[in-house]
Amino acid sequence: MSRLREFFSRINGPQTFGSGPRFWIPLGVLLLIAYVFPLFSDDYTIGNVAYFFTWLFMAAGLCLMWGYGGTLSFGQTAFFGIGGYTYGIVTLNFGADNGVTIYALVASVLLGAIVATLLGYFLFYGRINGVFLGIVTLAVSILLERFMAQTAGPQWRIGEARLNGFNGMNGMPALTIPWPGGDISLPAGAGFYYVILSILLIVYFGIRILVNSRFGNILVAIRENPQRAEMLGYDVRRFQLGAFVIGSALASLSGVFYTCWGQYITPSSMSLTSAALPIVWVAIGGRGDITASLLGALLTLAVFQTLTVNGAQYALIMMGVLLLVNVLTAPEGLILQLFRFRFKLSPRSQ
Amino acid sequence: MDIASAIFGFLYQIGDAAAFLVLASAGLAVVFGMMGVINMAHGEFIMFGAYGTAMAVRAGLPLPLAIAAGSLATGVIGVIIERLVICRLYGRPLDTIVATWGISLIFSQGTLILLGSSFPSAGTPLGSFTVGAYSYSWYRLILMLAAIVLLVGLWLLVNRTRFGILARATIQMPQMAEALGVKTRVVYSLTFGLGAALAGLTGGLYAPTMTMVPTMGSTFILEAFVTVVVGGADVFLGTAPAAGALGITKAIFTSWQGQLTGQIALLVAVILVIRLLPRGLSGWILKERS
Amino acid sequence: MSLLQTIDLNKSFGGLHVTNHVNLAIAAGEIHCLIGPNGAGKSTLFRLLLGEYLPSSGKILYDGEDITRLKPFQRVARGLSVKFQVPGIFKGLSVRQNLEIALQARFKQRALQAESDRLLHFLHLESNAVDRAGNLSHGQQQWLEIGMAMSLQPRLLLLDEPTAGMSPEETEATGEMVISLNRSGITILAVEHDMDFVRQVAQRVTVLHFGKIFAQGTVDEIIANDEVAEIYLGEPTYAA
Repeated sequence: MSRLREFFSRINGPQTFGSGPRFWIPLGVLLLIAYVFPLFSDDYTIGNVAYFFTWLFMAAGLCLMWGYGGTLSFGQTAFFGIGGYTYGIVTLNFGADNGVTIYALVASVLLGAIVATLLGYFLFYGRINGVFLGIVTLAVSILLERFMAQTAGPQWRIGEARLNGFNGMNGMPALTIPWPGGDISLPAGAGFYYVILSILLIVYFGIRILVNSRFGNILVAIRENPQRAEMLGYDVRRFQLGAFVIGSALASLSGVFYTCWGQYITPSSMSLTSAALPIVWVAIGGRGDITASLLGALLTLAVFQTLTVNGAQYALIMMGVLLLVNVLTAPEGLILQLFRFRFKLSPRSQ
Repeated sequence: MDIASAIFGFLYQIGDAAAFLVLASAGLAVVFGMMGVINMAHGEFIMFGAYGTAMAVRAGLPLPLAIAAGSLATGVIGVIIERLVICRLYGRPLDTIVATWGISLIFSQGTLILLGSSFPSAGTPLGSFTVGAYSYSWYRLILMLAAIVLLVGLWLLVNRTRFGILARATIQMPQMAEALGVKTRVVYSLTFGLGAALAGLTGGLYAPTMTMVPTMGSTFILEAFVTVVVGGADVFLGTAPAAGALGITKAIFTSWQGQLTGQIALLVAVILVIRLLPRGLSGWILKERS
Repeated sequence: MSLLQTIDLNKSFGGLHVTNHVNLAIAAGEIHCLIGPNGAGKSTLFRLLLGEYLPSSGKILYDGEDITRLKPFQRVARGLSVKFQVPGIFKGLSVRQNLEIALQARFKQRALQAESDRLLHFLHLESNAVDRAGNLSHGQQQWLEIGMAMSLQPRLLLLDEPTAGMSPEETEATGEMVISLNRSGITILAVEHDMDFVRQVAQRVTVLHFGKIFAQGTVDEIIANDEVAEIYLGEPTYAA
């Protein structure tokens, strides 16, 4: 019993912001609003918020790898694509009945994790870090994009699923929960919204527990001083690989949910511009803390969409300006700065 | 006769690919190799050079002067960017990546807003010649020449001029240089400006051969990064042979399977090289030498 | 019985032969200092012992076991610990967290708390427990690192210029701490420049010159050795 208590006590800890009621009460209110708002809203808005949520897993993964682990991977969009395409391939071949979509989700995330293990092994056990790791992961993302983009033509297929080149794969079924008396299909709407919100919360609390655990301590130690971490007896490569696999698998989960939401996936989600976006969200929010990262990502996505609707060209320029201002004035992240200011804490001590 | 023309065709392709890589990466190599700065806006500097050249041509300047003008203008923009942004981020490579990415977005989208989605380009001058069954562009031969001239010129600049020696000293040991009275801030700004000017030069040189869109920098940037990373920190020992080796690789794969396979081969190459030669070609060469 | 032994250890970087047929034996329980003029190869030897460099040839034995091919974290697991010249601490984390990260390999929850309290007291850092480690003074950072190195309960502690940048008072306090650690059973190998520190703590001294072992003996023997003085100063000198 006490082990369970110890496990959950790690929701608070040195690596995450907020441990008292001043944090948890407002957050609790926010979560309540999140759960209740669909009752007062229309399908379109609900679907839109769910759309934002699909990206948050990728942001969480990047926060774990970059903010906590110090590894800047540009490969999140590659795993996003792997997740989305795998889901598409499985469901287009095997349909939506009998819980296939759920198996597809699991399989996609698993495949992402496997690829991440291979790529991560290649990187970390080859002592590749820093800028070069960024370039290799970027190269992988673009490699995948360019490869997928030229798969137009009927010969490019896996079973029943045509890869469709630049136009991408579409028409795959939405997430479908097997139910006696009639399977429940969850296209972008309230049902899907609740599923994704609940999984998001599991991931959020899971990451909080993870980064405050022994694993998390060692991860931030590696970020601060990898040599010293090794000299304390920890196999640095193993921990970096672990964070990389979890972070990339989360990106695959984003890809799956995105595909479930819109019933399509295209190579452009792995392009050079797309590869930059998770970095923008997490940088603006504050990569050092999971709550700041997720809130920042949500905010940035909402702002970006508003700008795109009102003047598409200006959206990207504003993103650029925001990024620049952020790096120069608040490199730790705007939301994180706000947290610190509001909670009046000196940098990195609680 | 047939074999000779096939060989010529192959050599031409290699030269074309290698020249592209040299020209695309020279500016980035100076900035990354000498200063350790990752400039994600490199592609946009190339675009500025191209646009500047095209505008100069429209204003009546002959092409070579227009290219020089475009290059110079881009260099000035580079100095400004260094003063405003880059100088605050030395020693923070990941933050530099993020910041220059922001600049890249601002530049490309800003150009889109101000000048529209495309810009009329000068046509490719000088026409073509035939060897065997194929016709080749004279201009692209000139580009190969330009790549060689650029490398020679850069070598002279870095090794034989006062600026070059000061730059190298400042970059290797900034405090020492300061103590000897060198204005290190100026050296940094000028070096970054040089990198920008080289990018602008590339843009100007390729402007007559491409459609001018605000995102044209993206054609160059990945290849530029690949070449610089494969080459390593030394511009001459690294970037040049890297461009050669990668040019050959790309040419082989392109003639085997087409453009896309060639590009994919490049990306696979960079992944392998980083793994096997973590300091790039030049690091490996320097290690072997000693 | 030697706790640590190198057998004909060599290391070359390109054409530069930095470590030259070094046969070093550190007896269990002793305090051994490694000295030598700049460029003698002390730092390289140190890194070879740690596992950061692989030797060009030769062997390293630890407690009889050949550890030549082992990675640093594997050597640490066998009882080796190190304190670097530049404070190797986690500057962005709190002092307490620094210690906990060092301790958590061996201690669980409650014991972890107790042990980190004990260490904070031993290192005179109790009042700084929640401060950012990077905000400590230089000497305090060095001490924190010694604390972290110690928390692994090593059998062999490697110190790389432990008194670098310290005032005479701090140096002497460090010397006291080193002696106290040694009394609790830890073998110590220290690379040092500061002869006062060496005189205070060393039981045996090895002098390195151009990558080779130049002289070995007790502190008094080395100090009285004219040849040793010569390689430092270029001329014979008289013991003060």
